Amino acid sequence: MERSNFTSEIPIFEIPGGIHPEEHKLQSNQAEIRRIPLADELVINLKGQAGNRSLPVVNVGDKVLKGQMIAECDGVFSAYQHAPTSGEVIAIEERTIAHPSGLDDLCIVIKPDGEDTWTELSPVENLEGLSGKELSREKILAQIFEKGIVGLGGASFPSHIKLKQKDNIHTLIINAAECEPYVTCDDKLLQEHAEEVLKGAEIISKLYHDIKIIVGIEDNKPKAIEALDLARKNLELDNIKLAVVPTKYPSGGEKQLIQLLTGQEVPHGKLPVDLGLVMHNVGTCFAIYQALALGKPLVERLVTLTGEACQQPGNYWIPFGTPIHHLVKATGSTQPKRLIMGGPMMGYELPSDQVGIVKATNCIIMSADGELGMDQTALPCIRCGKCMDACPASLLPQQLYWHAQADEFDKAEEYDLFDCIECGACAYVCPSHIPLVQYYRYAKSTIRNNRIEKIKAEKARERHEARQERLERVKREKAERHRKAAEARKKVAAEAGKKDAKKAAVQAALARVKAKKEAQKSTDDNQEGEL
Amino acid sequence: MSILSSPFAKKPNSVTQMMLWVVIATLPGLFALLYFFGYGVLINLIIACSVALLTEAFILKIRKRPIAPILWDGSAFVTAWLLALALPPLLPWWMTVLGTSFAIVFAKHVYGGLGNNIFNPAMVGYVLLLISFPLEMTTWLPPQELAANPVGFIETIAIIFTGAASDPTTVDSLKQGVDGFTMATPLDHVKTELAQGYRIPEAESAAIITGLSGVGWQWVNLGFLAGGLVLLFKRIIGWQIPIAVLLGMGLVSLPLFFANSDHYLFPMFHGFAGATMLGAFFIATDPVTASTTPKGRWIFGLGIGVITVLIRTFGGYPDAIAFAVLLMNMTVPMIDYYTKPRVYGHKANKGHGTKKGHDEKVHVIKAKGAN
Repeated sequence: MERSNFTSEIPIFEIPGGIHPEEHKLQSNQAEIRRIPLADELVINLKGQAGNRSLPVVNVGDKVLKGQMIAECDGVFSAYQHAPTSGEVIAIEERTIAHPSGLDDLCIVIKPDGEDTWTELSPVENLEGLSGKELSREKILAQIFEKGIVGLGGASFPSHIKLKQKDNIHTLIINAAECEPYVTCDDKLLQEHAEEVLKGAEIISKLYHDIKIIVGIEDNKPKAIEALDLARKNLELDNIKLAVVPTKYPSGGEKQLIQLLTGQEVPHGKLPVDLGLVMHNVGTCFAIYQALALGKPLVERLVTLTGEACQQPGNYWIPFGTPIHHLVKATGSTQPKRLIMGGPMMGYELPSDQVGIVKATNCIIMSADGELGMDQTALPCIRCGKCMDACPASLLPQQLYWHAQADEFDKAEEYDLFDCIECGACAYVCPSHIPLVQYYRYAKSTIRNNRIEKIKAEKARERHEARQERLERVKREKAERHRKAAEARKKVAAEAGKKDAKKAAVQAALARVKAKKEAQKSTDDNQEGEL
Repeated sequence: MSILSSPFAKKPNSVTQMMLWVVIATLPGLFALLYFFGYGVLINLIIACSVALLTEAFILKIRKRPIAPILWDGSAFVTAWLLALALPPLLPWWMTVLGTSFAIVFAKHVYGGLGNNIFNPAMVGYVLLLISFPLEMTTWLPPQELAANPVGFIETIAIIFTGAASDPTTVDSLKQGVDGFTMATPLDHVKTELAQGYRIPEAESAAIITGLSGVGWQWVNLGFLAGGLVLLFKRIIGWQIPIAVLLGMGLVSLPLFFANSDHYLFPMFHGFAGATMLGAFFIATDPVTASTTPKGRWIFGLGIGVITVLIRTFGGYPDAIAFAVLLMNMTVPMIDYYTKPRVYGHKANKGHGTKKGHDEKVHVIKAKGAN
């Protein structure tokens, strides 16, 4: 693939490991961005972001306009959802969602009326003219929050949370690396909308009082780099630096891109903000610009439709909730062998073509038979160490594998299992075709479950002990009551006794005499018996 | 349709492919062996490989494992191939059979099969034969250029399989080690001469010593070096281990040579004599039994180089690659444990990579067995 000869404007550091899989990007980054006709129904997954499920605020039968809020945040760690088109809510029910588990979850189903009528939009007035101080931080954050903006790079992390920390941030990194094979939506977005992306980046930088901006991009996107350079000149933005990194998967991983651009590593257990860095994806910048300048909520995104079974590969603006089968049909594609959401390295296979696309969907691969390496049988590990050479986190993947497969989770943790970013580079180079990442996911989720179980058990133990203690206390109190009652009785009896002391003494004397006589008598009887 | 986990991208490597490349890369060295030492090398290869495949299939059947996919991975074939390359050309057939089957059964399957063995199977087979049959295992034919009585193809077969040849005197001469029929390898020759009180320059005046090391042997080693470079270039093997082996040999042999060149060989001689190049590029790099951490690979390779020269110089055997490899194999679990690389985001190496301390190290011996 063509490489850009643009010289990076900042020094680029090395990252360990990494791989060079076939890129397959030319299939989809040639055509202009297009649209496809609306689907018959849109299935909007309420769990379409990291965090809590959104709460529906519409009812079945309601008419909604495009951009109208249909589900609200459940707490701060969640996101608003908006109607991707105008139409009628025909169901709020469990549907299969875009998740590797193939589980069902609550979805709002909208039947489009075909008009695609926007609701009234509320852009931030006179955005361009405002400087950092005039733009109220709260106002921008509120707008980003209300327009349902989440990270579009893949994790769908609610953007307002990521932007919340404001102190000691000195650099904004725009992630345009897009290192996954097949995926070209960021590339294409920059080619056609670089100015909007940079304006979005400017807005974010204003949140931190005009911090430095670095755009990190792989050198396999010469057109996008040109477009960025041009947009920067047109907009007269001089705080933006273009950092062109060599194409190597996974340079677009958050931690890896930070290492490439700054030479620093995000310390274990810390976040990029701890280094004074904040990173956003180009798609997110675009969405933030649209939300603030045009007041548009996040209702659609650019999705790469590609794969050998896709007849019209390219990038399309797709409303959220559009079912995959509609995309397959609309691109005139032949029945694909497998459907992958995301890229071939970190994406996941879709359990059904009925699921709707979500905010995280950057790519749908419609694969032909034999296109993907999924039917290669696993052989024993030969400890060749290729995985170690490929690991961008400098882990020992084959040791992690040994421990994970033997359920020795403490050992796996000792080998820093949780520093694995699941990029799949190890499994890609493995000559034995062992699904390594699957083992790591298994080990991680088991460890997490064990921790939850442990906490639960701890709580149960505490509850049990509390109950025991309560029972003990009740028993003690009861005993105490009895004791007191008994003492009271004794006291009463004792007092009653004092009054009759003389009488008692006489009686006692009489009793002694009587006992003496009895004893005398029994002795006589015995003597008679012996005779 | 089963749901699979990422990555889905087509995987470029396979074990079979790696093993195939190892075999291909031995060809230059193999041709040199064939040219200088005759058809026996080829017959050894055929016997060893057939026995290895049969033994592997038999054991897999007993262990109730799938036979075809595991045979197809080529590891048993490569074990036999490398073992046969190290054997003398006229070794009786049953010794080859014994060494190969012992390697497959005891060095590999007893430990749990491919990937689980601690010791390099080819070297276990080799050492078994070497210490059981030291005479036969050190009886090499003279290189073709020096052979007064070259042994023909039919005769080779007859000697290997029956111990008798068309001309009975050939066998007798072989058995008695008569000059002209057999000849010591350069390393063997030097060792014998030194033991008899000669000095290195005197020992080097023999016909067998020439150029980098000895007649024929230098070409065999150059052949394996060339093949090894192909493996490096194809990234089938890492570069650290072979370089470390050669460096380790130099680290010991160079100071010795400078201290007393009458008694100690020039490092270059060590490098191109005996099984050096075969060992450095093909034996020590066996993925299963070598160290797998970046630093560990260095330590492992250096260890092999150092031990080889020490045994060659001060030990009772002329060559020592096999011993050195097996000795270092033993240390691999420990090397790997103490050379964990620093993980992304972690401060300087956290010592032994454990949060819990030393008492854990006993348990980390590769976590084998579950397979």
